[in-house]
Amino acid sequence: MNCIDQESVLIERAKSGDRSAFAALLETQYSRIFRCAYKWLGNREDAEDVAQDVSVKLAKKIADFRGDSALSSWIYRVTLNAVRDFERQRAGRNLGLGKYFQFMQVVGEEQVQSDDAELDDLWFSVRKLPPKQRDAVLLVYGEECTHQTAAGIMNCSEKTVSWHLHAARKKLRHILKEEGHV
Amino acid sequence: MSDRDLHRLKDLPIPEASAERKAEALQSAMAAFDANEKVFSNKTKGSDNPSRLKAVSTTSLWEWIMQKRYYVGPVAASLLIAPLAVHLTVQQMDENDDRPILEGLFSSPTPAEETEALVELTPANKPEKSSPVALSDRSLGRTDRTEAPNIVGFAPSVSEAEPSDLQGIVAAPPAPSTDSHIVRQGGGSIDGVTAQAPRSNEVSSLYGRVAPAPAAERKAKRERAIALNSKALSSARHQPRPQDALPAQSAGDRFSQLDRNGFLAVDTDPVSTFSIDVDTASYSYVRKLLNRGELPSADAVRTEEMVNYFTYDYPLAENLEQPFKPSVTVYPTPWNQNTQLMHVAIRAFDVPEDARPPVNLVFLVDVSGSMQAPDKLPLLKASLRLLLSKLDAEDTISLVTYAGSAGTALEPTSAAERSKILSALDNLAAGGSTAGAAGIRAAYDLAHQSKKDGSINRVILATDGDFNVGVSSDDELKKLISEKRNEGVFLSVLGFGTGNYNDSLMQVLAQNGNGTAAYIDTLGEARKVMVEQAGSALVPVAKDVKIQVEFNPATVSEYRLIGYETRALNRADFNNDKVDAGDVNAGHRVTALYEFTPAGTESAYNDALRYKKETTDTGSSAEPSAQSNELAFLKLRYKLPDSDKSKLITLPILKSDSKQTLDAVSNEVAFATGVAAFAEKLSGSEYSADYSYDEIKSLAKRGLSGGNGSLRNEFVGLVDLAELLSAQK
Repeated sequence: MNCIDQESVLIERAKSGDRSAFAALLETQYSRIFRCAYKWLGNREDAEDVAQDVSVKLAKKIADFRGDSALSSWIYRVTLNAVRDFERQRAGRNLGLGKYFQFMQVVGEEQVQSDDAELDDLWFSVRKLPPKQRDAVLLVYGEECTHQTAAGIMNCSEKTVSWHLHAARKKLRHILKEEGHV
Repeated sequence: MSDRDLHRLKDLPIPEASAERKAEALQSAMAAFDANEKVFSNKTKGSDNPSRLKAVSTTSLWEWIMQKRYYVGPVAASLLIAPLAVHLTVQQMDENDDRPILEGLFSSPTPAEETEALVELTPANKPEKSSPVALSDRSLGRTDRTEAPNIVGFAPSVSEAEPSDLQGIVAAPPAPSTDSHIVRQGGGSIDGVTAQAPRSNEVSSLYGRVAPAPAAERKAKRERAIALNSKALSSARHQPRPQDALPAQSAGDRFSQLDRNGFLAVDTDPVSTFSIDVDTASYSYVRKLLNRGELPSADAVRTEEMVNYFTYDYPLAENLEQPFKPSVTVYPTPWNQNTQLMHVAIRAFDVPEDARPPVNLVFLVDVSGSMQAPDKLPLLKASLRLLLSKLDAEDTISLVTYAGSAGTALEPTSAAERSKILSALDNLAAGGSTAGAAGIRAAYDLAHQSKKDGSINRVILATDGDFNVGVSSDDELKKLISEKRNEGVFLSVLGFGTGNYNDSLMQVLAQNGNGTAAYIDTLGEARKVMVEQAGSALVPVAKDVKIQVEFNPATVSEYRLIGYETRALNRADFNNDKVDAGDVNAGHRVTALYEFTPAGTESAYNDALRYKKETTDTGSSAEPSAQSNELAFLKLRYKLPDSDKSKLITLPILKSDSKQTLDAVSNEVAFATGVAAFAEKLSGSEYSADYSYDEIKSLAKRGLSGGNGSLRNEFVGLVDLAELLSAQK
């Protein structure tokens, strides 16, 4: 039984309510979810929060997973939505005690720095992109998806993915210039 | 920014997720999975033994692990009995002890006594079996957790009941977690323990023996585990994060994800087709959030609904035979000096108030528990009262409620019987869950019952979100609504409240029912939607209205349609009368905006094609000279309300008619442009990102003297609010 078959067997069983199958499935996917959330958010604690939300969502939605896209695409889609929800909620929360918590967040956040300052700047800028552009860039470059896969995940056409990438490159140049990195 | 730079993105070092948080996530997912179980229960009939198909060893390992926490319940229970057991034992052993039993039971022993008891216990004068129990339980009773052995240590005490289980635990090496943790958090740390279990076949065989336990017992255990689990979750998750003190109430509202229209090259996509949209829900939803100090999510902002919220003073059509008069303005884009805007305005024929046919309205009211909030059911009641004042004896109103079950609160009643209707209204109370399917059928039945010749029949669904469909799927519901639409009963949707608002479903329902979706956030909005428009706005003047614009590659290089993302149609749909599209009622105004780059502009978003085809010989009917003056050709298709055959209106858009400056356009167009710019900004559009809120305001202020001035004033206030809120972000 090869890997893919095993996965689809697990999916089928999880869909019919087999909790052990779902547990096994989630166990194999958790790190993918966490890694994806981390790339999008750049903060471990946030990524763990999102990964937990996604895990719960997958549990609720697995029965509706139709298998017309790959499991990985589906999980990306759920994760990307969760990331956006998370950011929206955080934006909402920040309004009340605004600056104080923003400050707290910056101070409290565990920012993993790589040795490569240039790479850090790039990531910092990518995360500042508008959501669609960021998703496109991170799927295509960060996750090395094909344009076709990314289009499937983002639920748009390949053309639109290319467009987002194009706009993102332009915007990144702008952001990096503004931050004085280039 | 080159490709090579971006490819480096994949090299980001990523830390590991903490095992604890991972266990927590998996655990809460399993709790959620179990909560689904009633959904699954039908499917699993006949395959009671879940391990029957077992082929993957990791599966069994996980099943085994996840099952472990079921035993936390019994373990915890035995811990509670522990002190009692100890004291009883002490009592029995020491026959000379003359303390009353009660005292021994209820006074907590001093540390000295404790030690004494232990010393007395451990040696030989105890029955073999109870000794480990007493010991381990005793030690657990201590509060000093650093000294207490971990859970693996005392697990054997439970073993008598569950031998197979015990071996599994013993097989696992001692975990580093502390026992107090285990008692508090239930399954969490159990997972921590078992995560270190060896991956052996022994484990799966162990599970095999546990599995056949009586179903009822397993179920009870599972329920206990879930209860424990969710409790642990609510206390453990997020506690240390202060931001959570301020809940984002709109977080539960659902919107379809919008893929914003980008610029399309005229060379490759010269034709743009869409269905008109007269909904206004997005604007009132956005207003509500802004007023509450929250920026709306991009998906909640539908530009066309924001723009169409306002009534514009566009040129009026003369008669019902051609109920529209499209007018087009072309002018420089305020947020981009290289592009121009094309403003397409349509105003539907206004039916005089006294010429309105009788209306037959059936309100389908969601009275589920969540509707209790003041901005929901009470607001709806107030809105209905307002509406009532505009209806007369010819009109009928019925009320159907749905919650746990559907019921008719008011049989079709003439609007003249005010008191009867009002008392039925007052008796509406929220409670129970939501079951919409029966409700919608009952509503349609009533609508048919009181249908008269020439009357306008409408089911108006008022809800805060979920419309649980017993009709097995959304598709079936859509089918039902389309069928009824063809029978002459339309459906409109009024949305209320935040937190659970299911915008996408509401849109689908209203679009399939030839109706409008409006979002009621205040009584003022209720007045606008239900009273100002209730009279003539209920009279349809055209249905299936589609717009198609063909751009001229000689004069326009690229364009984008601003908004209408949810209304896009295929090019061929335009001439296909079977394709459903938006409807226009008397007095409706519809605005569509295109942003386009004139041909020959260097800073186009799409580069010109190097190998461009020569297109002059395609047999176009227009004269070359006329063609070079035409920017685009507008076509509008509509059906009269009682007809199935569409009619066509066409209008060439001439370059020579375009305005040279923004100041030259009418104040109405300027205001609409301001609203569009605001919507674009809220939705994070990259095109108008550099356009400031101040500029939007000054654009909008030009239109303040126009119709519904108070709403326009309010708009300027909203721009202010959004500016402040986004400055904080």
